[in-house]
Amino acid sequence: MAVKLNFEFRKELARIIDGNLVGFCYQCGACVGDCPSRRYDPAFNPRELMLKVLYGMESELISESSPVWHCTNCYTCYERCPQRVKPVEIIIALKNLMAERGIYPPGVADLIATVRATGRSVKVTSLTERLRSELGLPPLAPVDVSEFEKILAPEEAAKKEGEDK
Amino acid sequence: MTDASPLRIAFFPGCLIPVKYPQFESAIRKTLPNLGVEIVDLPGLTCCPDPIYFKSSNKLDWLTIAARNLTVAESVGLDFFTICSGCTATLSEANHHLQSNPELKEKVNKRLARVGREYKGTAQVRHIVTVLRDKVGIERVQASVKKPLKGLTVAIHYGCHLLKPSEIMRVDNPDYPHVLDDLVTALGATPVVHRERILCCGKACQDENMPAEMMTDLLASVCEVEADCLGVICPSCFNEFDLGQLKLNRERDKHFAIPVAYFFQLLGLAQGYTAQELGLDRHKVKAKGLVAG
Repeated sequence: MAVKLNFEFRKELARIIDGNLVGFCYQCGACVGDCPSRRYDPAFNPRELMLKVLYGMESELISESSPVWHCTNCYTCYERCPQRVKPVEIIIALKNLMAERGIYPPGVADLIATVRATGRSVKVTSLTERLRSELGLPPLAPVDVSEFEKILAPEEAAKKEGEDK
Repeated sequence: MTDASPLRIAFFPGCLIPVKYPQFESAIRKTLPNLGVEIVDLPGLTCCPDPIYFKSSNKLDWLTIAARNLTVAESVGLDFFTICSGCTATLSEANHHLQSNPELKEKVNKRLARVGREYKGTAQVRHIVTVLRDKVGIERVQASVKKPLKGLTVAIHYGCHLLKPSEIMRVDNPDYPHVLDDLVTALGATPVVHRERILCCGKACQDENMPAEMMTDLLASVCEVEADCLGVICPSCFNEFDLGQLKLNRERDKHFAIPVAYFFQLLGLAQGYTAQELGLDRHKVKAKGLVAG
């Protein structure tokens, strides 16, 4: 069977930090042996994921049922790779592409919204304040997130806003 | 280092510990002054942001917020100490990326310039464990012990993000770590090695079954060596072990009862604080074994 390579997909991935390193992968499989996700889900295989990225198999990688969410983010593949491909960083870059397209597990989307709105990844509750006061710790001040909107504006939007002024 | 010149270092508290596990913050604030460390609280810090979910949404945004946090320490000329492995990973990775990639640094600085900030790269990030080892010294930790934890056996779970990627974290050997073993030994306790000591806790895995199976194997390997407790250093791992045991017992008919302690709670016990003062009584798995002797 002829394999059609999708170079556009690889170019798109290469825009993302450390998304360009997959080209160095020579499929040795050093990332597989100590991968905990592989141990607990035989269908998960970082070497195969890298191969699919090399082929540009976009529809398998960027989808609701993408295998990348079974990665534990343990960074062992980063340690083992002799080519410094940083497979876990490629996997995170794939997640970045999914986020751009709105394909995202709901729990993950919630956490990101919480960080952007409150400056914290977990919400402060009355239980938090009770625990803190019982331990003699001061209450938690609200986090100032006023700078987020400006520093997180995409480059094009920020430039346009600057021109308008 | 002498008593006359305390080590001043800026505190990066993160989110999980101050909000969900303030007993760990309390243990840090009690034990560090006894080691000649002056904790400097800085205003204006936010979530690091977290190296799993936030990073998975947009690496550039993740790096931008991390760089902004680093400018807060830079502005007062101090280094950061972190108490959460996740914060340590984010801030260390940010320093690494921005210092090794001038193009990326320029891009991030253009963003920070919109609020009058500039990332320079002058603030180092140190996990508190490396501050103890490299700045305070294990001998001084040992000298602060009033009630040695004699007879207490501790199975140590290092977790992933304290150690990896090792070229960036530079904390310890990721396959054969020993910094926490050395510190636990300094408290008079005995570290015991379990089969699964470098297995991931599974927290970041978006699946119900996989983390539960990892946790089951991990806890079973701690039972095998009959450790009195698990010693952890990461708040995410803590949650998987502490609340996680109750879930496994309830949902999968397991019978685990291994108390879990954050390293600084053990240090606190050894320095003479009570289990209550260190919030050990607030854990889901009750910490009977930790107050022996």
